Amino acid sequence: MDHARQPTGPTLPPPLGEHLRSPQLRAAMLVQQEAMQAARDHLRQAGFTELLPPLVGPVTDPGGRGAKALDVDYYGRPYKLMTSAILYKQASLRGFPKLFYIAPNVRVEPEETATTGRHLVEFHQIDVEIAGARREDAQEVAAGLLTHVVEHVWTAVPDLLTELGRQEADLTDVRSGKYDVCTHQEAVSRLLGAGHPQSPDSEIDWAGERLLSLESDRPFFINDYPKGSRGFYDREDPDRPGVLRNFDLIAPHGYGELVSGSERESDYATIVTRMRESGENPAKYAWYLKEAREGIPASAGFGMGLQRLVRFLTGLDSLWQVSAYPKLPGVVAP
Amino acid sequence: MSALTAPGFPEPEIRARARRGTAEVFPDPASYGAELFGPGAAHAGGDALDRARIAPPVFMPERLEKLIDLAREPEPGDVDLTTRTGGFSASLPLYLSAFGSTRAGSGDLAVHASRQAGRLGIPMVIGENMVPVHGYRRGGEATRSALLDRVDAYLGAAPEGVGGIVVQQSTEDADSEVWNLLYSDPATRPLLESGRLAFELKIGQGAKPGLGGMTVVAGAEAEQLADRFTVAEVFGEEDDRRLRCATPGTFTEEILRQQLRFMRNNFPRARTWVKFHPGRDIGDAARVAWAAGADAVTVDGAEGGTGWAPRVFLDQVGLPLSECLRRIGRPGGCLLTSGGVWEGGRVLRALALGARAAGLGRAALIAVDEDPGHGLERLVESIALELRLLVSALGKYAVTALDREDLWWPDGPFDERASLAPGQAAAGAAA
Repeated sequence: MDHARQPTGPTLPPPLGEHLRSPQLRAAMLVQQEAMQAARDHLRQAGFTELLPPLVGPVTDPGGRGAKALDVDYYGRPYKLMTSAILYKQASLRGFPKLFYIAPNVRVEPEETATTGRHLVEFHQIDVEIAGARREDAQEVAAGLLTHVVEHVWTAVPDLLTELGRQEADLTDVRSGKYDVCTHQEAVSRLLGAGHPQSPDSEIDWAGERLLSLESDRPFFINDYPKGSRGFYDREDPDRPGVLRNFDLIAPHGYGELVSGSERESDYATIVTRMRESGENPAKYAWYLKEAREGIPASAGFGMGLQRLVRFLTGLDSLWQVSAYPKLPGVVAP
Repeated sequence: MSALTAPGFPEPEIRARARRGTAEVFPDPASYGAELFGPGAAHAGGDALDRARIAPPVFMPERLEKLIDLAREPEPGDVDLTTRTGGFSASLPLYLSAFGSTRAGSGDLAVHASRQAGRLGIPMVIGENMVPVHGYRRGGEATRSALLDRVDAYLGAAPEGVGGIVVQQSTEDADSEVWNLLYSDPATRPLLESGRLAFELKIGQGAKPGLGGMTVVAGAEAEQLADRFTVAEVFGEEDDRRLRCATPGTFTEEILRQQLRFMRNNFPRARTWVKFHPGRDIGDAARVAWAAGADAVTVDGAEGGTGWAPRVFLDQVGLPLSECLRRIGRPGGCLLTSGGVWEGGRVLRALALGARAAGLGRAALIAVDEDPGHGLERLVESIALELRLLVSALGKYAVTALDREDLWWPDGPFDERASLAPGQAAAGAAA
């Protein structure tokens, strides 16, 4: 690891060999495999099919917040490593109306996110998409999935969790399946009321998200993000222009965002217009737009960050502690 | 000095200023006492904006205020030329306009201009299509891009706390993600940390309103660009030169609003600028941009240049700058103007009509072509002196105090002249 480039702070991984030998990582990985098993069982029982996602493509999720995609030279063409496989999820719906991946993603996050404890350049998400679903359906699946995974892991490996410092009471609210809901606008008002300078037409910033998460005892959804804060594929509410039919699921006690999801745009002309609104060049998306023109089913879906889920389960401070091969933003690591 | 020419632009006068600086503000001192002076012909053929006369009053209450403040008679040297330009502090109400990716605008001349703009403490805009055409640094320091050369030249020369760098991105640039590259590049960190980086959404330009960028390319370069741009054979079959065309991009009110929001959301530490061509709905466009949080709106009048453009566009398309300013009215935010700017009178007129600063494009290139070391600095010093003289003559001591009352229009009051019906020739307003 290139120590010269590390940001200062107490929460940086040791050299990789040492990290891989640590008992804490071992415990976290045992928790992770229980979580993945529980997620797969739960989703398959609910009729979902697991696919393996693509790794590179001519385009990927354009993302936001300054995260960028890595370029790959693909037989002389500029391809991207997947920042998320959202476009492929939508394109798969006609063959697989309920599908999920456990997808590896690579996002070159801005360096200032290295110390949030919530960002890794390489990470995985449990990526779910449901044809014909509305936002509320996707939220129900996300909540059900989280509740089931937490329940299973606590029941299957309680010793591991207590060894890592977790107590039963920490997870009671999640296991009970009680989730709150607020809107983006309400979240902004709460932050402004608390003296946090949150822009009303932007994504909730990292510090704001942490504040909201800290003051809550149970997981909660934030609905209705403003257009411009998310990708072109999140559906705009036809009754409320400028408002997206999307959501985040925030874990309590400061752990922050676990899930991002939305109803999707499936109308071809709307997708092209929304691409322009986010400054994208539609010509890059030729394959996807061809599918959209021929008809992509309406859908809703979400991605649940796997490392964030495991961090929440284990109660550890940073995502690198629950990744075997952590790569922090801006830190050159093997 | 090279083969660079600018037909239709007062090139000899600009070259003279690049050599002799403030000396060119006045008649030749050798003729002093031997020649009688009256108005010259220099502005007889100017556009509608240049035909407005600068009209000092007799009674000057603001001069009295300054007199009280200073306890002595104010002088031109007391005029404050500093301004806030698009979120930056600037030492003068001027900025270096984008040159685009044409050969004239992206070689050594542009680097010289960048260094001098830095020294002067005025903001600098770097044109679109620099990265798709000239590349960005990839995989180490081996290849330096034209864009980073200009950033380095500017940063190396700029005093602390003034000026700033503005980088455009066009539709084709979005493929190369210019803003993302710059925003996450450690080399630009000093700019971000000092609040001196802005991104400019380029929607159009004065030289060819409604069209995208155009350059002439030859042979291997043409082939290399063919997968990202339309490369057309317009110069004859035998000629290996081709016309490379970029698309102008599609905009509606909502697309503009959302793109600006997206920029602010994704690059919160950079300022957000927008550049428009002189479109007939420029008033609406500027209002939408300010409402969406743009830190600066640039209007490039039909007099704008540096870009390669079809003759019919250069001669016949787009509203003149004065008509754009009339349609915008009182600006709802920071307004910047460019097009045909090379001396102080035109800058003053633009400022009096609401602009916060004026851009130097062709004039800057000619000046550095004349003297790569100091040509632009001398040109700017001559404009700064003229501004001090003019502003003080109007009985004012800050450029921000200029107003419409400072101009007289031979064709009737500026605000009351009939608005053009859509589709009517722009020349109607100027006649």
